[in-house]
Amino acid sequence: MSDLEAWRAKAVAWCESMVPTFGKAARKGLSVEDDLALGRRYQKAKFDAGFAGINWPTDLGGQGLGHIEKITFEAEEMKHGFPNVYFGISLGMPVPVLMQFGPDRDFVKERVLKALQGEEIWCQLFSEPSGGTDLAGLRTRAETDGNGWKINGQKVWTSWAQYSDYGVIVVRTDPTVAKHKGLTYFWVDMKAPGVTVRPIKLAGGDSHVNEVFFDDVKISDDHRMSPVGGGFAVALATLMIERYVATDSAGFGPHLDLFVDLAKEVRLNGKPAIEDGRIRQQIARNYAMRAGLDSINVRARRMMEAGMTPGPEGSLNKLVAVRSRQKLSELALDLQGAGGFAFDEHASPKDDWASSWINAPTGRIAGGSDETLLNTIAERILGLPQDHRPDKGIPFNQIPA
Amino acid sequence: MSILYDEGQQAIATESRRALEARVSKDELLPLLQTQGVYHQPFWATAKEQGWTALALPEAYGGLALGLIELGLIAHQAGRTLSGAPFLTSSFGAAKAIELYGSDEQKARWLPDLASGETIGAIAFAAGPDPLPAEPTVTLTGDRLTGIAGAVSGGLFADVAVVLASGPSLVLVDLSGVERAAIDSFDNSRCIADLSFADTPAETLATGDAARAAALHILALQAVVTAHEQTGGAEALMEVARTYAVTRKAFGQPIGAFQSIKHRIAELYGLVELARANCIHAASREGQADFITAAAAARLSATEAYDTAARDCVQIHGGIGVTWEIGLHLHMRRARSLALEQGSSFFWEDVLVDRLAGDEA
Repeated sequence: MSDLEAWRAKAVAWCESMVPTFGKAARKGLSVEDDLALGRRYQKAKFDAGFAGINWPTDLGGQGLGHIEKITFEAEEMKHGFPNVYFGISLGMPVPVLMQFGPDRDFVKERVLKALQGEEIWCQLFSEPSGGTDLAGLRTRAETDGNGWKINGQKVWTSWAQYSDYGVIVVRTDPTVAKHKGLTYFWVDMKAPGVTVRPIKLAGGDSHVNEVFFDDVKISDDHRMSPVGGGFAVALATLMIERYVATDSAGFGPHLDLFVDLAKEVRLNGKPAIEDGRIRQQIARNYAMRAGLDSINVRARRMMEAGMTPGPEGSLNKLVAVRSRQKLSELALDLQGAGGFAFDEHASPKDDWASSWINAPTGRIAGGSDETLLNTIAERILGLPQDHRPDKGIPFNQIPA
Repeated sequence: MSILYDEGQQAIATESRRALEARVSKDELLPLLQTQGVYHQPFWATAKEQGWTALALPEAYGGLALGLIELGLIAHQAGRTLSGAPFLTSSFGAAKAIELYGSDEQKARWLPDLASGETIGAIAFAAGPDPLPAEPTVTLTGDRLTGIAGAVSGGLFADVAVVLASGPSLVLVDLSGVERAAIDSFDNSRCIADLSFADTPAETLATGDAARAAALHILALQAVVTAHEQTGGAEALMEVARTYAVTRKAFGQPIGAFQSIKHRIAELYGLVELARANCIHAASREGQADFITAAAAARLSATEAYDTAARDCVQIHGGIGVTWEIGLHLHMRRARSLALEQGSSFFWEDVLVDRLAGDEA
């Protein structure tokens, strides 16, 4: 058994042992607050078992292992529906950025250890009402104020902000230079005076995203994590941290075998749906597409194991998988006919077709919309020209609104 | 499990690409379309010289004992250059049928010449739209074959054929005395012919359920090679579209700056990479229980990639794209001829879903 296989076996055994306490059945019917409390216990258990911060340095509480061990563990963890969603952003981007750029090392160490054990949660304050995709178009500003700074403005789509203790934030510190050049990167205390968090209820009924308002929020200069005016580079570094994460060719919706089972149960015009050519074609095409993604992901893992850098084709995963999930979910509801109306807003999008369907649009927008991803593939991989950008090189305060 | 190509395999890809790019031009390929009974001789000469015909056959019969992975890499390059003669798959299929289901005597008689490329093989299973008919049109009586095997790719030049006949039976037929009629096709370089058997001697390889299973296995092996060829064609078209989109200007900018164009090409990238991934996976599953499933997925995604790339690449070129001279129609034609050989998407969709639903025969 290779080291990696031994690691996987250890992960499998631990995950299975956690199912009675933290699995889907244990979470059923819990309020979000109770589920979060369970999640904090899960995160602590994970830390104690040596599965938290797998690829992080040991002097900060990590395990000092590689990226491949991390995604191997996550691929196993993903199968059980544990309450870990609250820590995904926190441990995914803001805390690693804090580790890399946080100026006060004692403070950093304390925060990292608490975040790894589920005691503290961090959010990422990037998107704004006037610009999500156009990150550098943000308008929230920070002005110098004595020895520190004063933040005013609004962020939006901030995941888990209502439960967060800290956040990382990009703000405009100089509106008189080109938009990318006037940004600075800070961390903020989410409980500080002047910070107001308002949850946004989404179409599917849940509220994990928020609007966050900053009203004369005062921070000292030791919160600064980039040079003044050098925030965009750190923001990009944040977005680049997790290029290869554990992926799911089902687009984080139900797996295809659930659709096949449904098609075998349901009758369509008097015949089993699995015999209907339209259904068969969808099954076959979705299988071929998802099998392709699986193969790309396996190859990426093997390349990492071999010390190579995976190819850019990994960027296809979200684009292709979520579109397939959306259409397949529509079709699953079609197959159920009037039986498809039943809706439980707390059902899991991983095994409930209605929940998968109503929540699928989020997947096509968050983390880069389909259109943005196609642009990225076209421009970065294929070298096609950039879109026309009339705001290029113009001072931010002179860009026509 | 998918695989990473090793150094030897990468060398095969590089070397075959170099050899084919040096020896193939569109101006040689265009006339083949208008003439029946001509295939791309330089390709087959190259294939023989380079040992590609021997690649996936056992050493005992003059082969190189490599497999689908290596042959797939060459097929990919043949697809890129549009040069592949039908024998790349037809001779391979016939040779594999003999290797897997033939007697020692049959192997000794046919495999060495198939390995050297001097003998050309063909596969004749289809009856009309059905690539694996329950009731084949060719009748086997005793050890004699009668009837017409329709539209056999490479059939015009084949020396030996593996035929699915009534029974069902999988039989081996020496074609030396067999009458053949060329079919005038939109892709004449495939050398498609009807083979007429009239009391023709045939040797049985398998009968009953075993014959059907054997025929499906051979089709799947060929389909993986063809899927690589299709993916190579789709990849080349994606690159042609990309190059045109950065060079051609309209309204004061390269047309590739328009999202309607750049997104179309980005979507092609997705189709090509999914097809490539499925091809690599399928080639690495030869001999495993899920091989047919993997082959079907590769075949479906490669067909979609090549057809879409042909359609979209012509569209991106506008008027020039539909001219004889520029030759994009060569890819359009090849995309369709490869989509029909070894069973259309309808066939492979059914094969795949039967397996996913647990209903396979």
